[in-house]
Amino acid sequence: MSGKPVPEITPLNRVFFEGTAAGELRLCRCMKCGELFRYVHPLCPECWSDSFDYVVSSGKGKIESYTVMHMPPYEAWAADVPYVIALVRLEEGVRMMANVDMDANKVAIDMPVDVWFEQRDDVFIPQFRPAG
Amino acid sequence: MRPGRYTDQGPYDLFRSLLKDAITRWNISPKMVDGLLTSPSGQSQGQTDAYVHDKLISEFALKPRFAETMCLGGASFGVMVNRAMSAVREGRANAVLCIGSGKFLKPSEGSAEMLAKTIAEADFEVPYGPFIPGLYALIARRFMHERNITREDIARVAVSARKWALLNPDARMYGKGEITVEDVIASRPIADPFNYLDCSIPSDGGGVVLVTRADIGHQLSDQPAYVKGYGEYHACGTISGADVLNETGAVQSGAEAFAQANLTPADIDVAQLYDAFSATPLILLENLGFCAPGTSGDFFNSGACDPGGRFPVNTYGGLLSYGHTGDSSGMSVLVEGARQAMGQAGARQITGAENVLVHCYGGMMYDHTTLILGRQP
Repeated sequence: MSGKPVPEITPLNRVFFEGTAAGELRLCRCMKCGELFRYVHPLCPECWSDSFDYVVSSGKGKIESYTVMHMPPYEAWAADVPYVIALVRLEEGVRMMANVDMDANKVAIDMPVDVWFEQRDDVFIPQFRPAG
Repeated sequence: MRPGRYTDQGPYDLFRSLLKDAITRWNISPKMVDGLLTSPSGQSQGQTDAYVHDKLISEFALKPRFAETMCLGGASFGVMVNRAMSAVREGRANAVLCIGSGKFLKPSEGSAEMLAKTIAEADFEVPYGPFIPGLYALIARRFMHERNITREDIARVAVSARKWALLNPDARMYGKGEITVEDVIASRPIADPFNYLDCSIPSDGGGVVLVTRADIGHQLSDQPAYVKGYGEYHACGTISGADVLNETGAVQSGAEAFAQANLTPADIDVAQLYDAFSATPLILLENLGFCAPGTSGDFFNSGACDPGGRFPVNTYGGLLSYGHTGDSSGMSVLVEGARQAMGQAGARQITGAENVLVHCYGGMMYDHTTLILGRQP
């Protein structure tokens, strides 16, 4: 038990975490305007439509920005430092935050990465590692 | 008030000291102050008190026609000036006391986790272990990449802040000596690209400003500061959601403030730019139009922003070397801007400072306010 935060399943993110449990990285798609977005919006951020389905992302993306955390913010992260936090721009254009499981000295902007899923309690969270 | 570590004092002890100081300075009375704006306390403990104005009204026996506790993080203090001005202009208040106190506790177990949830998305960011320095680092890294800003360039900002702090007896780093770019880079790593000396200094403290009509201002001071322009903008409230990391809401808030003041960046003599981390003044110099994209590093390296330079920045030492007072952080940025316009900045006073720009932001650069203050209306 690492004590790392486990996302709470909510009506807003349920479809997303059902996807990660099935090995899918899902993106919301607005059925009115086609906008793709993360599961943080109750309405389409472009047109405020409330009808959407989802597409499954390829899980491939590039590091748009990153940091290497050297100081653990709280005890649950003490064993992980130094660890990488990145903003990953997916092929589909949507951006998300994740850790990148790699040698922290080698992380760089524009590095291609692939998704994988880490289990915490009974929730699977998307993570990335260098493509290859 | 001088920032420090007041371990035996709570936020309200600090409020009391601040008010006593203001009374001494301006000879104000409860009948005269008919407006009160303040900000929440207790945020760094994860125990936010959002009804500060009620307690202060009671304690100080005020009877305001206009009062509120405003919560926009570091941007609260820029916004306060604007809301107070509106009230004065509309005749709803004659003199609005804007007061903030803060304690920046070391994030102990529990509170850091709670604080992480208030600044990041609980389900899509917090699980990856971000904290305040790491979130700013994501902005800084992208900015450095796109604008060719180097590690040395951002360290130079901290070097400049220290030079200014050596002229300010109230600064936490007063008397602590100069630092070099090498010192910054050799200090212990926190969240790449930031090391210890790239981060502001956690402190306790606060400040007060009085926003009032020009005639009352002139009764209280030979040289009040006039508000010439104001702009604000509220960008996406999470890092993951921000479309473009290196174009912050300062682009919009700055443009609005300059338009209102009918001034351009070339008219500004000195700037106070909220500096939670060393990279942010560079981002703001470019976003506010003082430097073309990619040139802010060279600008700082030239010494332009140092004491004696042609464009002084953060003349009191900034949050980096004066101190970051938690819930009241932006107050020091505002107070120094006002002091420069009023000619009250002591050894660090910029002679002939006609127009002063003050930029405060809140959250992880989510809420932005730009104020232009001047010696003349």
